Amino acid sequence: MDFDINTDQQNLIKTIKSFAQKELNNNIIDDDKSSRFPMEKWKKCHKMGLFSLPFPEKYGGLNQSFLTTCLCIQALGFSCKDSGLVHSIVTQIICGIQLNLFGSDLLKDKYLPGICSGETICAQAITEADSGSDALAMKTKAIKNTENYILNGTKMFITNEPIADLTIVFARTNPEAKSFGAISVFILEKDTPGFEKCKAMEKMGLRTLQNGELVLTECEVKASSRIGTEGQGAIIFSESMEWERILLSAANLGKMEHVLDLSITYSKNRKQFDQSICKYQAISNKISKMKVQCELSKLMLYKAAELKDHQKRASMESSMIKYAVSEYLKESCANSLQIHGANGYMTETEIERYFRDSIASTIYSGTSEMHLNIIGKLLGL
Amino acid sequence: MLINIFIKQVPESIDIEMDAKTHTLCRESIAYQTNPFDLFALEEGLLLKEKYGGKTRVLSMGPPQAVKALEESLSMGADDAYLLSDPLFSGADTYATSYTLSSVLKLIGIGDLILVGKQATDGDTGQVGPELAEHLKITHVTNVRSIKEIINGKKVIISKMTEKGTALLEVELPALLTITKTDKEPRTPTLRDIVQSKRKFIDIFDSKRLKIDTMKTGLKGSPTKVIKTFKPEYTSEGRIFPMSDSISLSILLKELQKKQENNVE
Repeated sequence: MDFDINTDQQNLIKTIKSFAQKELNNNIIDDDKSSRFPMEKWKKCHKMGLFSLPFPEKYGGLNQSFLTTCLCIQALGFSCKDSGLVHSIVTQIICGIQLNLFGSDLLKDKYLPGICSGETICAQAITEADSGSDALAMKTKAIKNTENYILNGTKMFITNEPIADLTIVFARTNPEAKSFGAISVFILEKDTPGFEKCKAMEKMGLRTLQNGELVLTECEVKASSRIGTEGQGAIIFSESMEWERILLSAANLGKMEHVLDLSITYSKNRKQFDQSICKYQAISNKISKMKVQCELSKLMLYKAAELKDHQKRASMESSMIKYAVSEYLKESCANSLQIHGANGYMTETEIERYFRDSIASTIYSGTSEMHLNIIGKLLGL
Repeated sequence: MLINIFIKQVPESIDIEMDAKTHTLCRESIAYQTNPFDLFALEEGLLLKEKYGGKTRVLSMGPPQAVKALEESLSMGADDAYLLSDPLFSGADTYATSYTLSSVLKLIGIGDLILVGKQATDGDTGQVGPELAEHLKITHVTNVRSIKEIINGKKVIISKMTEKGTALLEVELPALLTITKTDKEPRTPTLRDIVQSKRKFIDIFDSKRLKIDTMKTGLKGSPTKVIKTFKPEYTSEGRIFPMSDSISLSILLKELQKKQENNVE
């Protein structure tokens, strides 16, 4: 096993950190308060080439490995203070990966260049009001009508949907089947008749991230807009979830490292009873634990990413990393807030925002409870 | 228009160790960066290329790891890169360095304009640029703050920092300019620039390829002899004057006047 981050990867990491610190960290508190999506920063990320990392050059991609993509997103998570924007970028990349893995050449030629550049904003619509963890119990239907499909149904909490130009929609094409063979995947443009998106929902954290409802009413889609074969939805879902859970964990690991740095600096500078508070074990033990969790996460993350680079399944690994990093992040943010005391509770020190943002990580892309269930199931329990 | 830009890899931190025997930098286990003034020189060169066309070449002398600084320059937009690297070049003072740097330009051509940072943050001498111009027998101007215009590829209009302000100069090409911090922030390369720059070639020259007199290079060729190096101790302490009333203010004023008088003497 080679744990070295090579020079090329180091250059990309260094550039992303410097870019994010210079270009992405202004007006964060105001954007969070107003739940505003920072479109101008998205455009800067597009210019920087952030969306194009793992895609083939013929679509405008940079042809980087998934491990390198994870390292870059980790660097972005570390240095970009807007976790909502980072999550939005990860969603865009995941939609592109899904299309690249399962889409026809026609769909890839048509849509991947826009996704790679970031000019086309992408969303992925799976969740519904009554099917969250039990995602494949979705009710949205796609009924075949000669050449086309007619979609009807409502999707909920869809990341990027209020600002998306393209949405990858999962829908039931076979009402008889339970999961495998029941679901198909379609790519829909925002102007398709019968495709109606609602305004962004207010949230506790990740407030700049735009999540919304999508209503499909007699929405007609060409069969050529289907990603993969009919009924392949469950396979596409489980494969793309592996990539998503790994990449989201990369972003969250970056944030965890940032919170660790903030906690170290504050505890060294903050003096009480004539010494730095880091000299009290009640404080230093919390920070030491954060460090251990960061390092453990790195090992699991890089291993999972390597598996995907070698075209291997990573069901267990992606669930483990998603579960571990999201729980570690939530714990680290809570501990960091405690270390920062009253200062941490104030909006301007930004720790309270990181704490609010971290809560969602144990809910989206499979709750922690669901991931423990998946791991148990894979262990034959 | 052909622009040669010299860069140097320098330690990122001022907290560095010196070799007790050679009195040169201990280069192992130090984090490096490109000399900040050189990045301003590179930015000026890249802007000139974008405005007038032509080519930018970036050159550096140093150990093999200096390739990293050249790669960074290539990703920012430089067209070609050259590294002068040979154990016989190490430990060079400004004279031996400028002699070695001049030798590569004598081989590959001095072009129209040579840009260098006004000084490196490790040595802080500011001598290499002017000495390089002397070796090449071309005009040089130091502390250039802005390159205004190139006239017909023959002359350059520049703004130079002086002790009292700035001077606007017209200089015949070829010329060497040492660049100080300008208002043009060095660009951040995009990820695409970084990935694509890996396809660019870095040409490495050793003493044999340069065909130079190695008695004039490195520590051996350096007339400067460093007798001793040491870390200065910071002994001065701050003083607090409570500024609550006019009496404190007058005490502070007297202290400052006394200090100024001592300095004049």
